[in-house]
Amino acid sequence: MKRNKNLPLTETVYYILLSLLEPAHGYLIMQKAEKLSDGKVRIAAGTLYGAIENLLKLKFIQPVESDDIRRKVYLITEEGKKVLLLDFERMKHIIDVTQNNLK
Amino acid sequence: MKKFRFYINLEKEEKWLNEMASQGWRLNRKHTKYEFSKTLPNNTIIKIDYRNFKTKDDFQNYIILFKDCGWEHIAGTKTSGKQYFKKIDKRAGDDIFSDVSSKAERYKKLSTMWLSLAACYIPICISLVTTKAISIDAVLNPKLLYYTPGLWQKTGTSFFMAFLFETPFAMMRGYIWLIFPCLIILYTIFAVKARILQSKE
Repeated sequence: MKRNKNLPLTETVYYILLSLLEPAHGYLIMQKAEKLSDGKVRIAAGTLYGAIENLLKLKFIQPVESDDIRRKVYLITEEGKKVLLLDFERMKHIIDVTQNNLK
Repeated sequence: MKKFRFYINLEKEEKWLNEMASQGWRLNRKHTKYEFSKTLPNNTIIKIDYRNFKTKDDFQNYIILFKDCGWEHIAGTKTSGKQYFKKIDKRAGDDIFSDVSSKAERYKKLSTMWLSLAACYIPICISLVTTKAISIDAVLNPKLLYYTPGLWQKTGTSFFMAFLFETPFAMMRGYIWLIFPCLIILYTIFAVKARILQSKE
């Protein structure tokens, strides 16, 4: 099977998709990514905005209705979940082979 | 105070704006000129993003995201391209980009903008040639551009006076179209320069 052309995801994109399993606006995504990565990944505003734009274009995330009129809220799509899972499998495979070879 | 500067290199522009701020000049607006007002000198960090927006909502959402992250939008409009931000929160990092590719992406957009501007003039050039507005004969023989009857039969001072008087008009008649190819070349150079800066990131 041909590999999905969006793989591998960048660390930034991976954490954004992971954060958007639940609806969140831009700044919340940044905070979630920081927490999920134990403070190692701090996505800066410009990078975050560009990544969101790109993910919207790819239809991996979508805007959803919310009470906050000034901030847009996003949520992962089915397509986005599929890609996230594919990248998860990819990394899992890397971990497995590395463990086996280091023994 | 208003100042005119032109930058392709965004890092150099940021550096200049930070120097102005450290001398107490706060950037208020940027159209064709930078508009500053005098305040106390402070060491702020100013960063530039390059982005245009389709709707007002998109633009507002963008500004609020930056504000949430500790960056205040100080200049730029929905379609101005360059967006200027000032760090207002100590917790914010020192840059609005956290990876190299998104930082370089700015130059890609800048380059595309200059190229499309250059492309706008190409149909004008073509139509000028096909409608014979540009006369090739006149380029090869500039004498044709002078309309004063009997000009080339005159001698001495009267020739020079008439010749010098008509020269600016003749130039306009014959060479004003050169501005279009010049602009195309200039804009293409800007586009190439932005591409080079992109590859350096």
